[in-house]
Amino acid sequence: MITKLLVVDDEVEICDFLKTFFEERNYKVFTALNGETALRVVEKEKPAVVLLDIKMPGLDGIEVLKRIKALHPTAKVIMVTAIETRDKIEEATRLGADNYITKPLSLEYLETDVRDKLESLAR
Amino acid sequence: MTSFEYHEALKNAAKSMVRVKNPRRLLKMIARFIEREVGLTHSSILIFDPPNRRYLFVDSKGDRRIPVGLVRLDADNPLIRWFSEASRSVALSRDFITANQVERLLSNETFLEQNRGIEERLCAIREQMRIFKAAVCVPGFFKGELLGLLLLGRKQDQTDFSLEELTFFQTLANDASMTIKMAEYHDDLVRRNRELEEQIEEVTRLRKKEQETYYQIILSLAREVHARDAYTSGHMEEVEKLGLMTAEAMNLNLEGKRRDILVAALHLHDVGKIGIPDSILKKEEKLTEEEWLIMRDHVFKGARILEPLDDFKEVARIIMLHHENFDGSGYPYGLKGEEIPIEARIINVVDTFHAIVSSRCYRRGRPFEQAVKELERCAGKQFDPAVVRAFIETISRRIQPRYDESTGLELKSRTA
Repeated sequence: MITKLLVVDDEVEICDFLKTFFEERNYKVFTALNGETALRVVEKEKPAVVLLDIKMPGLDGIEVLKRIKALHPTAKVIMVTAIETRDKIEEATRLGADNYITKPLSLEYLETDVRDKLESLAR
Repeated sequence: MTSFEYHEALKNAAKSMVRVKNPRRLLKMIARFIEREVGLTHSSILIFDPPNRRYLFVDSKGDRRIPVGLVRLDADNPLIRWFSEASRSVALSRDFITANQVERLLSNETFLEQNRGIEERLCAIREQMRIFKAAVCVPGFFKGELLGLLLLGRKQDQTDFSLEELTFFQTLANDASMTIKMAEYHDDLVRRNRELEEQIEEVTRLRKKEQETYYQIILSLAREVHARDAYTSGHMEEVEKLGLMTAEAMNLNLEGKRRDILVAALHLHDVGKIGIPDSILKKEEKLTEEEWLIMRDHVFKGARILEPLDDFKEVARIIMLHHENFDGSGYPYGLKGEEIPIEARIINVVDTFHAIVSSRCYRRGRPFEQAVKELERCAGKQFDPAVVRAFIETISRRIQPRYDESTGLELKSRTA
């Protein structure tokens, strides 16, 4: 079965780049440029993994994380963001984020982490 | 682009590099230039980030550009390793890698058999180039250190890169690396220079503070000397006033440092007496030969105490010579007239005058008129006549003398 992955980032280029990267690795990739769209995709597609940016106009990543966990509790959410403050990491972890990756990121690490999350999901 | 155009472009780029102080701006210029002039799907630049030992995208231009700030290449990335590691395969040029080259080698069975382990590395490189949609990868070195990478997409016209184009990119990449390094060196130099200046300032400040502290210590030593000798209570302040008045009356230059030297010498001339025992210092009878030698030594002791003070070399000399007499009959060297510094000649006069008019434990102070007579009598012998003349003139004009048993001479300005 093909794995569904959702990329949430307000930068089109980042969405496109990660979409291509994961598509080439046999994922079915959805993208969302804001929190509202992301929540609609989660509700409809139930992606296994969500890569979620924190700093976005409108609903921010922390809020989106909260709602994703309510809508679709088994989704693995990896926060991907340039903001690296202890507060945000703690808040996201408390709200159930499964990992926290800061940009600029290593693609190899990101890919491995997504795979790890899926394996833990399978167990 | 024709050969001539490349040549011109290179020349212009080199010129810009000299001008551009900000290497990041230069790199953006290069990325834009390649993308526009050569017509690529994208051109991206990565540069080395030394503190974290990783390579970051600083710019990407073109339709299929790479988002800057999202991705980094760590030191163990196959592309980075290929260029930065010493053991490179001879089959691939260390100057650049093209996707076509990699494909050709991967389909060459003989090559793969002859070079064990290369297949895996080439596959990893192919994968990286695929991720970044790179047809060419050009490293920029400076002194053997991999400082940057140019990742270039395919040409819009679908043709392959010519060797000329590749050489051009390579030159750009290396020139840019050099420029980055130079800018780093420059910033580093400016920073280190500033740090050094701050350190020098700090040392100077501390040294000055130390000298001031030391001066205060000597000053209190000098006070101690006078405190031991009852007649000289208030001596330092009065000698200072008398000395400055005399110097002014003689029209001596008292600008800045000259004034400080005179005042310090007036304050400190007897500091060397600190080491002389009371039995000698306060002795009422005539001193023995041995005692006299000890007493005379105070001029050297005083000079030695001042030795650590950088700015007091002249003061030390004055102190050493303040018992020299105008006719050569003084000590320690028997100098004459102008050989004796003017400050020392002034000290000799005012110190003697003050001693005469003050109360001493063994002898009551004599009146003002008598002191003046004594100075006049010794002018040309013990004292410089010019100093005596100026001293008497100024003291008669400005001071209303009043003999007081406890405080000695009280100075009052008539105009006050």
